[in-house]
Amino acid sequence: MSEHRIFFRETVERILADALDKADIDAAEERIFPKRLYDALSENGIPLLLVPEDKGGIGATVADGAAILRAAGEAAAPGPILETMLGQHLLASAGLELATGLISLVFVDGIDVPEPGAEHWNDAAVHAVPWGAAADQVLIVAQTPQGRRLIVTNGADWTATPERDAAGEPRDGLYAPSLPVRVVALDDGDTWLRTAAILRAAQCLGAIEWAFRRSVEYTGERKQFGREIGKFQAIQQMLAELAGHVLASSGLVEAAAESMNPQLIAAARSRLGDAIDATITITHQVHGAMGFSLEYALNSRTRRLMAWRDDFGSSVYWRRMLAREFTHLDRETFWPAVSDAGLAAVG
Amino acid sequence: MTAAHLSIELPELPPEAQTLRQEVRAFIAEERDAGRLPPPRKIGLGFNRDMSRRIGARGWIGMTWPKEYGGQERTSLERYVVTEELLAAAVPVGAHWVADRQSGPVLLKFGTEAQRRAYLPRIVTGEVTFSIGMSEPESGSDLASLKARAEKIDGGWRINGRKIWTTNAHHAQYMIVLVRTSEATGSRHEGISQLIVDLSLPGVNISPIVSMANEHDFNEVLFEDVEVSDDALIGKEGNGWNQVSAELALERSGPERWLSSFRLVSELVGALGPDAQASSHEELGRILSHLLALRQLSMSVASMIQQGKSANMEASIVKDLGTKFEQETVRVVRNIVSAENLTANGREERLRALLIHAQQYAPAFTIRGGTNEILRGIIARGIGLR
Repeated sequence: MSEHRIFFRETVERILADALDKADIDAAEERIFPKRLYDALSENGIPLLLVPEDKGGIGATVADGAAILRAAGEAAAPGPILETMLGQHLLASAGLELATGLISLVFVDGIDVPEPGAEHWNDAAVHAVPWGAAADQVLIVAQTPQGRRLIVTNGADWTATPERDAAGEPRDGLYAPSLPVRVVALDDGDTWLRTAAILRAAQCLGAIEWAFRRSVEYTGERKQFGREIGKFQAIQQMLAELAGHVLASSGLVEAAAESMNPQLIAAARSRLGDAIDATITITHQVHGAMGFSLEYALNSRTRRLMAWRDDFGSSVYWRRMLAREFTHLDRETFWPAVSDAGLAAVG
Repeated sequence: MTAAHLSIELPELPPEAQTLRQEVRAFIAEERDAGRLPPPRKIGLGFNRDMSRRIGARGWIGMTWPKEYGGQERTSLERYVVTEELLAAAVPVGAHWVADRQSGPVLLKFGTEAQRRAYLPRIVTGEVTFSIGMSEPESGSDLASLKARAEKIDGGWRINGRKIWTTNAHHAQYMIVLVRTSEATGSRHEGISQLIVDLSLPGVNISPIVSMANEHDFNEVLFEDVEVSDDALIGKEGNGWNQVSAELALERSGPERWLSSFRLVSELVGALGPDAQASSHEELGRILSHLLALRQLSMSVASMIQQGKSANMEASIVKDLGTKFEQETVRVVRNIVSAENLTANGREERLRALLIHAQQYAPAFTIRGGTNEILRGIIARGIGLR
């Protein structure tokens, strides 16, 4: 890990330790925004991490951003951290002004959106927007037959219907009869989807790691039949299986973030999907009834995994994408292509 | 390593590894063009002495060993590249596989100078086949309960006992046999030793065990008063358990633990073409992602071994995940073949034969080289539960 990345990660870990506690995580379910955390992140320039230096940012890599989101996921940090960080990067790349506050970001497909250069969007509606009612700017990346477009809107121009995701965080429906917009054609729209997908993957990975570690600790604390439940082979076998999921998915997510290779990113999201399923099943099974109460912290990670796992392309989407990269090959050219994709991060 | 820090570094492949990969691919293409590598109808490591000789001639057997014993002094990652390319192309490597992977390294690490000189130069040419003498009829997962013994006689050892599931014993010249040489006073792991035995000696009786895939790879090997001289002892008398533990780590993390059924996927992709149902693409994409994850992990372990780090838990994870993946692959290919109607009316006859064989063979994946339940015990210890 580079010195920069260690510094970024340690900075964010310190902020998370100082400016986020369980009360903040619980309050997010009541739509109370974790302001203390975001103020601390902003003071340290974290929202501008991915923005190039010549545009006023820090100019860090996607893999650096992934390292930070992994820490945020581990801490179950609520709020649109990813959306704000990637949103600023999008604005800078499109040659637009950076936002001064919170950004929400959604990718949409199959809805009518205004043409590049349009100034208004009539009868506008978007759904499941993270912290949509609280965001200062809402960015919409829309798939159209002519490619992807970025639509920049002000949060205040929308009317919000409050909705929630599986973690209890706001995912609001937004509507406006007519609102001012800026619309820009995105040259490499797929790259933005992949970037969002791998950043979310890193956030999930952090939540997985916390849930795994907590489960191992718990089995050393909880006693039944006169001994720690971690002494039972049935428990050991489950956690050993989960260890495999953690190690396999973390290696691939890291390699994908490092290389930004399209095939590795699709593979990372696919493999992570299975790791998430196993994490939710096994960590709850190991915790027994205790883990099912809202009070116990395990669900703050497992419910976030439920909320996040299909963002920016579901496992199913990424699996189909990955397969289609290779199905035009024949029986002898197939392995070399798969092999070379896998080597993208290691030289 | 504890649970709190379950992580593994990305490997760095040196540029020469990439050059080497192209050399191996060129070799495979040459063999194919010359008709010496027909598309397989079976999975598993084929046995072909001439193929092993040709691979040896390229310097790809014992390639990490010192030059004085015929090696090339290349890195574990380079060996990794060669093995993965050969396996993915289903090149029959069975004649040198065990010797290259574990018998040679055991001799290098624990053997005497005379033993190294006697065996290693013959292994690297592909002339000599080794077999593994660990499992017994009454001693499978609980290896330390083994009954085979060697008693000290003047100038050597007299071996009695029975070894089982011995791959290629009927082709092999040698076996490294794990035997009890003295009674354990404390731990059961004491008093166990490794002896190298010439399988042509009187008293060695090899009989076939035909597998449920209707093949003769395995054997039962009976030792009746087989006498070997003192120079057959590998390492220290009584240190066999430690030696065999090191050997098993080499046996568990390589690409053979997740590539066994890969040929089936290549054949499937060849038969499938670009147009298929979305559900078939989804299943295929899923197993490809598992393959790439395992590959990453397996390379990381090769890199750890290269750096002299202990990778016992990580190797066990590779084998646990890898062998389950191999079984899963067979199921997924079978589903896609059905969904796409690929083998109906005599189409894709070779894929059909390969799939039948893979189904018959698949139960062995999660058993050979240590059952997955035993491996998960090792992983549980690694994360601090035992």
